[in-house]
Amino acid sequence: MGLQQFFFVMRWWAAVEWIDQLIKKGLKSVDEVEIFYVEGRSVSADLKQKKINLASASEDCGLGIRTVHKGRIGSSSTNDPLNWSECLDAAIASGHLATSLPWEVLPGTQAISHTPLTFDSSMKIEPDSALALLEQMLAGAEEHKAEVTAGSAGLSTASVTLANSRGIHYTDNHTGVSLSLEAIHKQSTGYEFDHSSFMEKVDPFHVGERATFFAHESAEGKEIPTGNYEILLSPLAYAELLGGTFIPALNGRNVHAGRSKFSQSLGESVADPMISMYDDPLLVGADGSVSWDAEGMPTHRIDFIKNGVLNAFAYDLKTAYRYGKTSTASAVRSGYGGSPGIGHHNFVVDGKRSTITDERVVYVHSVVGAHTANPMSGEFSVELSNAFWMNDGEFEEPIRSAMLSGNVFSLHNEVLGLSHESRSIGPLILPSVKINKQRIIGK
Amino acid sequence: MPGITYFDLRHVTGQITHIDIDNGVFESAGTTFFNKAVLRVISNAGWGILQIDNYQPCTGKKFDELLQRACKLSAITQELVSLGDVPRGMLTVPAMKEDPRSVSIEEKSAILSEIEKGAVHPSVVNRRANYIERIEQVEFSDSSGNEYSYEMCRSGFNVLAVASQNGNTQMGYEREHSIHGFNLRHQQDLGKKAAEIAVALLGAKSAHGGKMKAILDPELAGVFAHEAVGHASEGDLIQEGNSVLKGKTGQKIGNDLLTIVDDPGIHEFGFDPVDSEGVAVRRTEIIKNGVVNAFLHNRESLAAIGHGVAGHARAMPGEPPLVRMSNTFIEAGDATDPEIFEECKNGIYLKGSRGGQVDPGRGVFQFNAEYGYIVKNGECTGMVRDVSISGDILTTLHNIALCGKNRKMSPGYCGKGGQSVPVSDGAPTILLCDAVVGGSGMD
Repeated sequence: MGLQQFFFVMRWWAAVEWIDQLIKKGLKSVDEVEIFYVEGRSVSADLKQKKINLASASEDCGLGIRTVHKGRIGSSSTNDPLNWSECLDAAIASGHLATSLPWEVLPGTQAISHTPLTFDSSMKIEPDSALALLEQMLAGAEEHKAEVTAGSAGLSTASVTLANSRGIHYTDNHTGVSLSLEAIHKQSTGYEFDHSSFMEKVDPFHVGERATFFAHESAEGKEIPTGNYEILLSPLAYAELLGGTFIPALNGRNVHAGRSKFSQSLGESVADPMISMYDDPLLVGADGSVSWDAEGMPTHRIDFIKNGVLNAFAYDLKTAYRYGKTSTASAVRSGYGGSPGIGHHNFVVDGKRSTITDERVVYVHSVVGAHTANPMSGEFSVELSNAFWMNDGEFEEPIRSAMLSGNVFSLHNEVLGLSHESRSIGPLILPSVKINKQRIIGK
Repeated sequence: MPGITYFDLRHVTGQITHIDIDNGVFESAGTTFFNKAVLRVISNAGWGILQIDNYQPCTGKKFDELLQRACKLSAITQELVSLGDVPRGMLTVPAMKEDPRSVSIEEKSAILSEIEKGAVHPSVVNRRANYIERIEQVEFSDSSGNEYSYEMCRSGFNVLAVASQNGNTQMGYEREHSIHGFNLRHQQDLGKKAAEIAVALLGAKSAHGGKMKAILDPELAGVFAHEAVGHASEGDLIQEGNSVLKGKTGQKIGNDLLTIVDDPGIHEFGFDPVDSEGVAVRRTEIIKNGVVNAFLHNRESLAAIGHGVAGHARAMPGEPPLVRMSNTFIEAGDATDPEIFEECKNGIYLKGSRGGQVDPGRGVFQFNAEYGYIVKNGECTGMVRDVSISGDILTTLHNIALCGKNRKMSPGYCGKGGQSVPVSDGAPTILLCDAVVGGSGMD
């Protein structure tokens, strides 16, 4: 652990010098310069059935440069930071091509906590750590009669530095562990996964157990007649449907560009009054927690939907300046490439919790083809995966195959209840949701 | 080096140029650079894989150190990996009609802007056009002395139109991507087409779900082939026991008229002159006259299960190769379009696609059409939107009743194992009986 921290300190001081030089050089040509520098390493191991087939490791780094000159924003990136000068020239050249837009300033240093929120100093980024996780998943998989087909365990660490010509020089360290296992029984498949910034928060045995449980329990399902049903979406199925439709509609850029269903809906009821949705970037222990966003703005909670009423949209600096709004510190980067865009940190669906498994419902664990939902209208028709008749909280009978059709936006007006428990699915923290009158097409 | 029975190195350098125009505003444009390599060794039992950022070609002691690091990783592997004997050789990369590098980014921006302006329409609230150009220099070498190097350029554009009326938001989306060089010229009509589709969809209805005859246009029928057959024939999935096609070689799963092929050697968007393991690429007839004929393989899956053709290993820069499709298509038949509509008589005609997904172990797939028309008495009538079809791999292929005369390929990207690779899918127009159509429309 000590050695690892030392490593970061050494690289950080090495980085300061060339980053300062880069900013100084950039300021000779442009009004403002922003530097995003990430370096990380990872280790992972993959199973082919029950045996480890490969182990891999990576060490990567990348530099993203953004320049602003008279409202023209340029950017470039490279994974060879020694070539920062060429990268800077490319960013400035890119700015010449961009349309000039309303712009004020990049943020300066502000009083924020620099305690890492997603760093586990006990995590060892070593092949042996991956081996131990795979062994525990395989032990869990033994709980039910199904064959393991594939699995993976990965560990990673990264150091992220943001600097700009207004004096910001922030750095943050992250760790991550991710697990997945796939299983099959007859012609029925099961899949489970887990991820966290902290080793103690993942449960590899449970991942293995659930993967073989769903494979085994879903076998020899019965058909379901076409009709309208009360359904219970697991957090996974709910995340799959929300991700490409509802959440982008809360993005301020999409709202002002007319690419959002919610463009004219601020202040209106868009969901059942029991539903609230917010981004909480400072949630302790959550994977997406950050004190500053990808532009260096101090993060805070954003209440998008309060008791069913649309209350706010997400903004980064560029969009806020352009439309006369205030940044909600929602800038994110998917890597060092490109420019920051609008996203979220820990997106939470919350509201009054209740027991939602006391009546007979169609339980949907996941869906096939959620990415084909219409991102503008929210309309979808997807295949069910690991669906069951559930009664009094128990899996009663598997459903062999059927499609679920509906609209991601309008189904939020048919919500009957939210489960007591929530689960992290990537950067989303979601309960199970019980929904009235959804169309299922049987075969 | 002791203990190492095989190694290969794939080094990719290149540059990506992009232009993004949003409602007439040049949001961003510019060039980024990358340099990535992946070194794979087989030692101990399985693979040790080193992903190297910013690789500087080296020999002697330096290269031996990299081999040692990869070798050390493989210490935790358990499965004994063997590699099949394979043919060698590299195809010539087709010459480009116009090299995008010879066109300035200012000229590219001006032409793209014309395409974006083509989408201007009173009901269109947002227009967006993107240009992307990716040039890769690939160098491959292995421990058997095989060496290949080539350069590939893929370029193209997307144009999106969003129409909105009384809270109803719909989109039209057109795209063209090519390996044959700069393809932006004379394409203004595609912006107009995107707008016309978005506006027409404002008046379209949701489809009624249920079983019916469906006519699939060549683009959608290509996605059908990709999802229904392509993924399930990938040798790594067969090896893991995660495909319903395992053990089905020689069995009839479709009509006599059905032949489905994957061919990395044809000059479409999924073209590879040589695969990512340095294996010569070959046409592979996955389904031949309705019979399971050959699986897609890399060297490892070929050795493990046979029944197929290697040369289908593909990878993103710096990532380990996986078994992937390239150019996948249903061979043309002899039916004319009027014959197909006459045979359909009453059903649905579906066009375009936002993709699909498959669970190959369960044998269930879903794919989506952007829009379609109700067919009554062999004639297209009212327009419908957001239609999906789901099916079972082992039964649905028997329901392809007619294949048209003209095959057309469409470019796209395919995701698997966290990697996205360029592909093309294609088919003639086909008639599918008893199609399970998802839609939320009701009388």
